[in-house]
Amino acid sequence: MDLHRVRRLAWVLVASQVRSGSRTANPKSPLNQPGIFLWGDLGLLFGGFLLGTLALRALSLPPGLLGPVVLAAVPFLPLLAVATVLIGGVMFELTATAKFAGSDAANWLPVHPEEYVLASSLAVALTYSLPIALLLGALAAVSVYVGAGALIALGGGLAGVGLLEGAFLVEMVRSTSQRAGSTSGTRGRVTLVLRALALVVMIIALQLVFNPVFLFASLQGLAVFGQVTAYLPPFWGTFAVLAWSAGNASVALGFAAASVGFAGVLLYVATRLRVRYWSVTAAELRLEPHRYAARHPVLRALGLTPAEAAIVTKDFHGYVRRREMLPLLVLPIVLLVIVFIEDRSPSSGFGTFGVVVFTAWASSFFGLLLATTSVGQERKAITVLFAAPIPAPSLFRAKLVAAVAPAWTASVVIGVLVGLLFHVGVVVAVGLILMSALAGFVVALWGLAFAARYSDFQERPRPQYLRPAPMMAATGSGILLVFIVVIPATAALLSTGPAALEGAVFAAAVGLTIVALAWGWARRGFEGLFREIPF
Amino acid sequence: MSSLPSAVRSPSTEAAGSLLDVEHISKSYGATRAVADVSFSVAPGEILGLLGPNGAGKSTTMKAILGLLRPEVGSIRVLGHDVARDGIAAKREIGYVPESPSLYEFLTGAEYLDFVSDLYGIDAATRVGRIHQFLAGLELAGHEDALISGYSQGMKQKVALISALLHHPRLLVLDEPLNGLDPRAARVVKDLLRNLATSDGVGVLFSTHVLEIAEAICDRIVILSRGRVVAAGTVGALRAQAGLAGSGLEEVFLALTGTGDLTDVVRALRR
Repeated sequence: MDLHRVRRLAWVLVASQVRSGSRTANPKSPLNQPGIFLWGDLGLLFGGFLLGTLALRALSLPPGLLGPVVLAAVPFLPLLAVATVLIGGVMFELTATAKFAGSDAANWLPVHPEEYVLASSLAVALTYSLPIALLLGALAAVSVYVGAGALIALGGGLAGVGLLEGAFLVEMVRSTSQRAGSTSGTRGRVTLVLRALALVVMIIALQLVFNPVFLFASLQGLAVFGQVTAYLPPFWGTFAVLAWSAGNASVALGFAAASVGFAGVLLYVATRLRVRYWSVTAAELRLEPHRYAARHPVLRALGLTPAEAAIVTKDFHGYVRRREMLPLLVLPIVLLVIVFIEDRSPSSGFGTFGVVVFTAWASSFFGLLLATTSVGQERKAITVLFAAPIPAPSLFRAKLVAAVAPAWTASVVIGVLVGLLFHVGVVVAVGLILMSALAGFVVALWGLAFAARYSDFQERPRPQYLRPAPMMAATGSGILLVFIVVIPATAALLSTGPAALEGAVFAAAVGLTIVALAWGWARRGFEGLFREIPF
Repeated sequence: MSSLPSAVRSPSTEAAGSLLDVEHISKSYGATRAVADVSFSVAPGEILGLLGPNGAGKSTTMKAILGLLRPEVGSIRVLGHDVARDGIAAKREIGYVPESPSLYEFLTGAEYLDFVSDLYGIDAATRVGRIHQFLAGLELAGHEDALISGYSQGMKQKVALISALLHHPRLLVLDEPLNGLDPRAARVVKDLLRNLATSDGVGVLFSTHVLEIAEAICDRIVILSRGRVVAAGTVGALRAQAGLAGSGLEEVFLALTGTGDLTDVVRALRR
């Protein structure tokens, strides 16, 4: 293994991360240098240490009070390091476009697989190391203050090992998902479902990691189930620090050595997987003749032209085949899961009003996201649409249907689920579906108006379909619009007598007025979009 | 048409009516003038080569013909349709292959061709035969149900070519159409273009850096340099203009674009 080559390759991979954010990135800017992460780590480490030291001196807290804090927090640094890199890295893998997730070049450059895996892992570890560095710096200040310098040194070192362990695991996910991602047909569909599930699990894991109640339970659980977790390699770093803090140096060194050994095993496995699944473009060949025909009978029945129906069908294919679209598609599921995690059932005090408003918001927000991303997700292939004889209003109609249809489907599914799980009654469930549909339509139009004007067609590792500032504006104003429609509608839904009718009429009037305004704005946007190709 | 300089006007334009008239177009990107006062026409059955060094304005001109870019000055007409005013009608008559075809890679080849057929309103019965013919002719049959993301560069280029030809366009605008094609496929495409031009009267605007190909299949050639037309005519006329009778198109091209003496460059590169 040529470590110089590893360093150079890691440097290039970090540079691609740093500079991928903006097409106008100035490669000479200090902020766009690969060293920014390294300097950032050092800055946060020493900054955290300095601030922590100053704060401790200012507060003059007795060391005896802070000792338990150090003993409770430092052991979890290695585990937190693994989790941080794993969650960040896997989230990136699941959301990155296939083009950027691939690493074909390393296959034809004179680079050994283990060199590539190590370099790529170093780049991943460095990318997600900043929060760990900050935490380490702050904990170091407290540890030195209470005289536990050796403990934090061990914890910090093993946190570094943890970062690498997480990065090697990310490399394994990368190799296997690249291989799986290149298949089509049944295997491809299974892969997509698995990816969607993985994404939901990762997002829920993120919720849990940052949930104090869960963390506290974990701390207690680790003490209780220590005998079991001692057999789980990702915990070995934590056990080494725990053993050191208990004064058992030999056990501590044993766990530390085992942790380093585990990182070595992960590197070996990641390298083997890389060698095994090096190809990112294994085409699957089938020899049955394809039947060419103009189809889309349902879409044609809705009044769409063949070209419009073809664009909608193409977008539907994109939703289920493009890995970068997955985060959008799993959004309604994730939002529902959050309801369960946070226990926002009507009996929890969140109330039926809250449940209805929140779930209506979830499904209509889905429409907003699909609409705002609908034009930018065309990427440079939008040239095909520009060169074809399609008028702007046709593209507008097609994109509207492509955004609204999944949002309405989500409205129905969520409405039924809320009706069944929260026992809100048939009338409320049906009302929820109708108001979600109206709000989804409103914000889909709103999102399309932004998409037509501010889409970003650049190829990036993390796709950015709309430019950042308009994305924030569209999201903020879109959420506001949803509430403007949904809150009076929900109030009407949960009222009785004349108030219910008045509220319903008011909500419908507000919704339809916004529809009329947004329709014109969006349509004009599409006419402007077709004036000249935007790249 | 009459305002076109004679050198860039197709000889058969007056008799047959031109398929494409580009008249005095100019286009800038910020302070950079990409195309300046460019004019030419393409007659039915004519293959016009658009040549020029990198950055000469070829792709910009082609995009303007498709209505993808709007020139600040000048006009473009495709079969009499003003591209700026009646772009949809113009696009119906054009088959376009961009320099780097961006296809929807999450579709299979068959799905993509179905999609393009729908965009151009090709009915189901017609498309079946045409797609099968093209797939077989370009040796893509059997690959049509694989995702385009798994295709080689040449296979993607073939799909782009097929999608440009499916709707029987009367004008083909082809930006480096032979990029990545294997020799057999390149030969098929060249013969097909010649056949379409002579038998069906299809006009072809053809951009390439491979001057042997341009010399072999183009009836006339327009050379752009720094956004301007520096020469136009048959290969014979260009030779005469460059004062290089009997020379190949490469020498003529280098002379006309002012990049003729490369001895010093080669010497420097050998060091």
